[in-house]
Amino acid sequence: MKPFFAQIERDLLIAWQNRQDLGVMLVFFVIIIALFPLAIGANATVLDPLGVPVIWIAALLAILAGFDRLFAQDVRDGWLDQIALSQLGLGWYALAKAVSHWLTAGLPLLIMTPLMAMMLNIPLQQWPPLLVALLIGSMGLTLLGVIGAALAEGARRGTALMALLILPLAVPLLIFGTLASQSDRGIISPHLMLLGAVFALLLALAPLVAASALEIGETETGL
Amino acid sequence: MTINNHTKTTRKTAPSTADNLLHINQLSVLRGMVLVIRNLSHQQNAGDICCLTGPNGAGKSTLLRTIAGRLPAAAGDISCAVPIIYVGHTDGLSGAISGRKNLAGWAKINGFSTTETAIDTALSSFATKRFADLPVRVLSRGQRRRLAIARLALAPADSLWLLDEPNAGLDQASSRILDDIVQKHATAGGMVLAATHLDFAAAAKPRSLHLPGLVT
Repeated sequence: MKPFFAQIERDLLIAWQNRQDLGVMLVFFVIIIALFPLAIGANATVLDPLGVPVIWIAALLAILAGFDRLFAQDVRDGWLDQIALSQLGLGWYALAKAVSHWLTAGLPLLIMTPLMAMMLNIPLQQWPPLLVALLIGSMGLTLLGVIGAALAEGARRGTALMALLILPLAVPLLIFGTLASQSDRGIISPHLMLLGAVFALLLALAPLVAASALEIGETETGL
Repeated sequence: MTINNHTKTTRKTAPSTADNLLHINQLSVLRGMVLVIRNLSHQQNAGDICCLTGPNGAGKSTLLRTIAGRLPAAAGDISCAVPIIYVGHTDGLSGAISGRKNLAGWAKINGFSTTETAIDTALSSFATKRFADLPVRVLSRGQRRRLAIARLALAPADSLWLLDEPNAGLDQASSRILDDIVQKHATAGGMVLAATHLDFAAAAKPRSLHLPGLVT
């Protein structure tokens, strides 16, 4: 496991050096949430049920927006060549990337969420299901983003292609996530279990898909 | 530990033929629709230094990347009995963190020694200690190259070094140090295959492997 944690440590060190990116992402999250009530108007009966969905859409956009260049820097630096020859291998590398990206994007978002929930006047008893669902949902979205970033890296078409590929795949996470967040049957609802199932599927598949995409991208377009 | 390491070329852990540690047999490599390397055979043994020469586009980088397992072989096979260390056009260093942290991270993902002394020895092998604690992005091309090559000192003594234009960006004094490093590695029983010009490590009388390029 040592090489795996070494990769996470390296990514976190690099993320710390580029920590202004984290600020940009958080501000993006807050701005999307703040824009919704402005567009919909000051009508409490319309706005109240929209709180949870708005947080989910903002989280989805904020998490996926940070993904376009996830592997690009490592490819340009030649780090990917070193990874491919190392004990780590591309699959574990992709998983390590997902973990470090979640720690630097998903986790701060989750910490911001109570503040946003307060801003949107979401009742206190809704917070635990919202936070638990968002915890699993953000990890699932991160894994999806890793797949998208790896595919975009191979295709060399960047962000636009990634959004087209990944946003439709995020639909199950969004549906089960919003339902689980609004459940009135406590934290462990059937929707949360389905959300967990989608996450488990992504956890198993994402590293394999990302590794193949990175490998193929190299053969088709490399030096 | 490896989930998915599809190396298309067969890289056996034990050499099939007598004692050639690196054995390339009838290798052909396609890039796009072009057959860049055709029926290439090459053997190398402990202590061998080999210069890979040829015009631009002859497939020098392609050959090195194929041996490193980064490109699939269209035909033929490659077997290498020792660890492979690859230094490509790019240095494999992140600009955001220091040279020292880059080297330590590289040693860790490869499972090499990461003690303070091992890193220090590696850094001083190419006189990089003076700038090892600066973020790599402020370093010059040559300084980054020196860090990338200093990294080699962390690898096991018997490893095969694949060097792609190792002198690129190096001044004359640094090139001479590079020659020394390469010769020491060969004396210690390591192998070097370098895409470079012929006066590379001249004192060790390297062998040469010439790629003629596309014959039309």
